[in-house]
Amino acid sequence: MAPTDTLLSVLRERLSLTGAKPGCERGECGACTVLLDGMNVYSCLTLAVACAGREVTTIEGISTADELHAMQRAFIEHDAVQCGFCTPGQILAAIALLHHDPAPSLDNIAHGMSGNLCRCGTYPKIVRAIQSVAQNNA
Amino acid sequence: MPNEKRKRYIATIVEVEGRDERRVVETPEFDVAPWPADAALKIVGARVTRRDAAVKVTGRATYTTDITLPGMLHAVIARAPVGPGRVERLDVAAARAVPGVIDVITAEDLPRPVRFAGVALFDPAVTYGGQAIAAVCAESHAAALAGCAALEPVIANTRPTLDPVVAADAHEPLVRSSHMVGDAVDVVERGDVERGLREADVLVRRAYRTPSALHTPLEPHAAVARFEGDHLTVWESTQGIFRVRDELARALGMPRTSVRVLMDYMGGGFGGKNHAGPHTVVAALFAKRTGNPVRCVLDREGEQTDTGHRPATVQRVTLGAKRDGTLTVIVCDAWVALGVGGWEGGPAQIYHQLYACPNVRTTERYVFTHSQAMQAFRGPGHTEGAFGLERAMDTLARELHMDPLELRLRNYAARDQLKDREYSSDGLRRCFSEAADRFGWPTRADRRNDPLRPNERRGFGLAAQVWPAGGGPPAYATVVIHSDGTAEALSGTQDLGTGARTVLAQIAAESLGARLADVRMVLGDTERTPYAGNSWGSMTTASVGPAVRMAAVDARAQLLEAAAEVLECKPEDLDTRDSMITTPDGVCKITFADLMKRLGNVMISGHGTRAPNEQKLGLMSFGAQFAEVAVDGATGHVRVLRIVAAHDVGRVINPTLAESQLEGGILQGLGYALYEERVLDQATGLPLNPTTHDYKIPTMADVPRIEAWCIDAVDVRANHVGARGLAEPPVIPTAPAIANAVADALGVDFTEIPLTPWRVLTALGTPRSEEQGAGSKERQ
Repeated sequence: MAPTDTLLSVLRERLSLTGAKPGCERGECGACTVLLDGMNVYSCLTLAVACAGREVTTIEGISTADELHAMQRAFIEHDAVQCGFCTPGQILAAIALLHHDPAPSLDNIAHGMSGNLCRCGTYPKIVRAIQSVAQNNA
Repeated sequence: MPNEKRKRYIATIVEVEGRDERRVVETPEFDVAPWPADAALKIVGARVTRRDAAVKVTGRATYTTDITLPGMLHAVIARAPVGPGRVERLDVAAARAVPGVIDVITAEDLPRPVRFAGVALFDPAVTYGGQAIAAVCAESHAAALAGCAALEPVIANTRPTLDPVVAADAHEPLVRSSHMVGDAVDVVERGDVERGLREADVLVRRAYRTPSALHTPLEPHAAVARFEGDHLTVWESTQGIFRVRDELARALGMPRTSVRVLMDYMGGGFGGKNHAGPHTVVAALFAKRTGNPVRCVLDREGEQTDTGHRPATVQRVTLGAKRDGTLTVIVCDAWVALGVGGWEGGPAQIYHQLYACPNVRTTERYVFTHSQAMQAFRGPGHTEGAFGLERAMDTLARELHMDPLELRLRNYAARDQLKDREYSSDGLRRCFSEAADRFGWPTRADRRNDPLRPNERRGFGLAAQVWPAGGGPPAYATVVIHSDGTAEALSGTQDLGTGARTVLAQIAAESLGARLADVRMVLGDTERTPYAGNSWGSMTTASVGPAVRMAAVDARAQLLEAAAEVLECKPEDLDTRDSMITTPDGVCKITFADLMKRLGNVMISGHGTRAPNEQKLGLMSFGAQFAEVAVDGATGHVRVLRIVAAHDVGRVINPTLAESQLEGGILQGLGYALYEERVLDQATGLPLNPTTHDYKIPTMADVPRIEAWCIDAVDVRANHVGARGLAEPPVIPTAPAIANAVADALGVDFTEIPLTPWRVLTALGTPRSEEQGAGSKERQ
């Protein structure tokens, strides 16, 4: 692994974990979002070597073969998915948001999620999915 | 099921995005009766879950950019840093010397000339900044990028032609052999415009400007190519697998059937992924030259710079009306800044169709400019035209002291005036009335002074839309019932994220009498799925849906014949429901699975064809949208509070997915209204904002309250499924509805979008600095 390798390239090219997507590779679109020690980060702007000894969670790591994560179930139930390319990043950003703010206001959802772009415009459905998970957790 | 022998192929008019094409198409072997408007359907019309949601939320959906094959190499396209000009230096030797670089191709290495939008691939005579000039193939993406950087191109550039109005008058350097497509203006006229001008009591004259907008799909254009002997397989993020196959085969001089194109999942298209591109040819050429599979994925800058755009327009509009609001004349004189190429998807058509008026003249000039070629972008032409027309209608209403909704209803167009034909179904009046009710349009004055943030003023606006969305032939489908009783519906269409995979499966399951869980939809394979056209023009559901239904009806008839033999009864006495075949009394029954098990390896396969549309009938989707905004008079910032949208799209196959698509279209329209504008550097022709940071698509923080629905309006004349298209309609009226609301809030006329704070403050008369004005010259 080269010191210049990004977390995104290592995940995708070396570990074959392609759930994190390259949408801009400039830290702007959020499609590559993963969790680093529970915090959402852009993996395209994170150096892989900087993750030594830390916990990296990708979309592949939040469900088991038998059971989806509550946020994944909510995204399915509320149709918070269109083309799906931004979806893994949206789900991980939403999980991080609720981790820090278990009952977010609409404003806090909007700000917490505004680093993850969706060109299909699934935002209203994503809001509903996040709210439903927050309510069930309450 | 087959009835009397009928003529198999007939000539018919097929309409794509308003353009008529005469084609010979296959007529179905038998007629399928339309589902009546009140048919008791169980699966069609139900809010079933998107079929591919589970693979998408788990990250298991494989997009082209995710495909890795053994021995795969990586290709990167080198681009002209400026344009127009001539490549004077390109250090191919240096690129080849970079560790890991395997191959470099330039114009000299092409086996035959390849053109995209009229521009030769890798042409050293560069037409526009960002144009492809070479490509590098390497063992890793990083090495390919390093090789690309080593090329260090030097270009002797000249001043680009960017202004369509000046260029149309031939005062600028030529981009192509003429200044305009066909070297001519495109005039469409009905009635007597001079008379209409004379008869008007009130005239409104305005010049509107709309920006060049970029599709910005989250997944950039991507292709993976692999040769096995002389056979080429290409995975492509595309809206049209068969078109990519044909274009690629032509580019490489190969038989079409030696090229297989596959598309399973794609990260958005919106009109920008209808063709093979330089990346497709590059991947295929390197795969051929190296013998290895090759992946070529555009970076974000390449995506924003060289994959198409919604062209900027200038629209000089005159509306004339009697005192009572009756329109006497509509004139639109338009300039479209196409870029280096593109097709004639201009703003004029909606001026002829949306409102009743006897005297209409539109003049369009499709002007070549030194930038990337135009590509269809969701609602091409109509979205631009709706802004000019609907802003002018609002200004006219103000001049007449009339309610803007009343003016629109006064000039309601009950038939298609452009093509002199009736509409298959016309729900626009209901869209106006349902949306106005929900919005509280008649009582909006009561809300005008409700509390807002300091300096904010509230405004209300509306706009409407018409869009050709009837679909048509050719489209084919096959429905196979397997030996375990499950069914597979195959059609070579695409799911861009639209939900085609889901709604087509719903149509198949309903038609078979099968459980939805027992039906699998297989799309996107030029070798294994029957032909369907591009997923453009809001055509997929209305084109492929009837083909899928016919194939399922055919398969079901075969299933019932086989069941009748097993159950010792007549096929006509049998019905299907929940993957079960029963007699009406329910005494005899057998599941699909048991029947197929009894039959052994009998394969039931139904064939479906899309029948031609009824001629002289307009198959249009309609909609009306109402917007409420808050505008900060001090900062110029516009906050959209609420959008209420009612659309008429015929039968809705899945209301949840339809609402998702409406919301998505509205949000793209919101971006067009407020944020999105490609800015070109006047000296180099390069986009100054080719990133998702600087080219601002809406984020979640920009989302208003959206109430969007489709009115209950099954279209039994459109086709036997009863559905028309809905993908493009919702983007069309959003920007003018928002702009009308902003104008209402401030009492100021707006003629240009996006309504950035700078434009709002300028309109309010706030002094501005020169720097803030830079960049908008593209459209001056």
